[in-house]
Amino acid sequence: MTFRDRTTNVDALRSWRGDVEADYIYTTGVAGERFFTELRDTGRILAAHCEACERTYLPPRMYCEKCLGPLSDWRPVRGPATVEAVTIASVDAHGNRPPEPEVWAVLRWRGIHGGLVHRLAVPPKQAKPGLKVHPVLRPAGSRVGNITDILYFAP
Amino acid sequence: MRVGIVGVGVVPFRTVTPEYSWKEIMYEAAQRAYADAGVDPRADVGSFVTCAEDYWEGFGIFDEFTPDQLGAVLRPACTVTGDGIHGLAQAMMQIQAGLADVVVVEAHSKVSDLLTYAGVVHHAFDPIWNKPLGGHPYYVAGLEMDAYLRASRVGEKACAAVVAKNRQNALTNPRAAHGSKVTPEDVLASPPISAPLKDLDVAPLADTSIVLVLAAESRARKLAANPVWIRGVGWSSDSPWLETRSWTTAAYAAMAGKMAYAQAKIRNPAKEVEVAEIDDKFSYKEPQHLEALGLSKKGSTANAISRGDFDIGAKLPVNPSGGSIGCGNVIEASGLHRVAEVVLQLRGEAGQNQVDHPRTGLAASWRGIPTATGAVAVLGVGR
Repeated sequence: MTFRDRTTNVDALRSWRGDVEADYIYTTGVAGERFFTELRDTGRILAAHCEACERTYLPPRMYCEKCLGPLSDWRPVRGPATVEAVTIASVDAHGNRPPEPEVWAVLRWRGIHGGLVHRLAVPPKQAKPGLKVHPVLRPAGSRVGNITDILYFAP
Repeated sequence: MRVGIVGVGVVPFRTVTPEYSWKEIMYEAAQRAYADAGVDPRADVGSFVTCAEDYWEGFGIFDEFTPDQLGAVLRPACTVTGDGIHGLAQAMMQIQAGLADVVVVEAHSKVSDLLTYAGVVHHAFDPIWNKPLGGHPYYVAGLEMDAYLRASRVGEKACAAVVAKNRQNALTNPRAAHGSKVTPEDVLASPPISAPLKDLDVAPLADTSIVLVLAAESRARKLAANPVWIRGVGWSSDSPWLETRSWTTAAYAAMAGKMAYAQAKIRNPAKEVEVAEIDDKFSYKEPQHLEALGLSKKGSTANAISRGDFDIGAKLPVNPSGGSIGCGNVIEASGLHRVAEVVLQLRGEAGQNQVDHPRTGLAASWRGIPTATGAVAVLGVGR
């Protein structure tokens, strides 16, 4: 060992309990602004299309990650989303086990590069890949313009 | 110019380290590595690279806090915000560029000081698209496990066998903190975290510090009778968006492996690699990474696991150290720990976990949830 003197008395062990003051605003940016304003005002989900790569991005962004060209062609996604993967979360954000587990899913749309990761409002046993689902939004007028305006996805 | 590893310092993993500060853990690893290499850090080392992330540490601008405990005061020192293998690559390049003959690389975990582990992991989620939805961050591992198991022929049973193997290997590794007799049935019966992910599928946390001493070829030959050569390094990141990345394959590991294999002139990794230390922060990551790295054929991995093809004593022992599941998840030190374990294997110093005379070994890391970033090092002994 490298230290000749080591603490062997547990009563002598000392630590100090601290926290970090770190509060932020998170700027949604140009693409986020467009997406969340549309979601709040019309309930539509917008994607951004790259003509050169024939890719339509969801979440939308201002640039194509393949060719790095700027994107300005906005298109609403159409039809239901398809569940690609599911998980049944038995542990909440704080590590506790709530009485009802939460279902999360990777959601894909036809013709879309990407999708969304969100909650699924179906019983755990029925949560399977291939399920067709739609977003359920907060009622118009009470939406705030962020991702929580989508409450969950349901068949 | 070849770069050799001539010194290894590993502080044995522990679940808590209440008597040492994080600086003292680093000091201990450094002292072990300098003794192993036979170098004086104040006179012989040209540059120091540390690997850390401020949120894991609990204070800002981590790199300002590193020189004194490593012997790096008023010497070239920098921090890589990444996994230990990213730091290894940086150190190797400094030597190859002629900036220094001997370079030290360090990575550590004092994660037992972190009272809100899940909160810090959640802080790494996209703040616009994912974080506001809440939930325990391991739902991402649950989703990835579901996607991977469905796309591969690997099932929950094979993942449970990986846990049993790695916990067993750790029992005879004196550096491991979480060795235990665990059966695949125990794993399958453990409480769900985010199904299909269960409690025992998750690598438990541990504290450690790892220090390696690297040297240019001519210097390495003087310092060590049998230097372990870094034959190749690679690193890669997939799209950070949860929504657009690959969920079924570890694309980042495949790219990082390709880069490292090209330098090491490895054409058939499954035949040429003789010992592998592969990230297993969650059980399913071991088979997923094995497939991405070309060490197991897609579609046959589950059978290979059940045959014991990756056990100590088989043709390609995987995680003979016990991996993260058996030793402990040491966050950004995980990759450097695996490099250290491969070095010990190639030197023939792995004790009861020694693999039969390996000459080529591989270490592969992943930065954990929610990243899609990994790094690979190919190591070898002899000419």
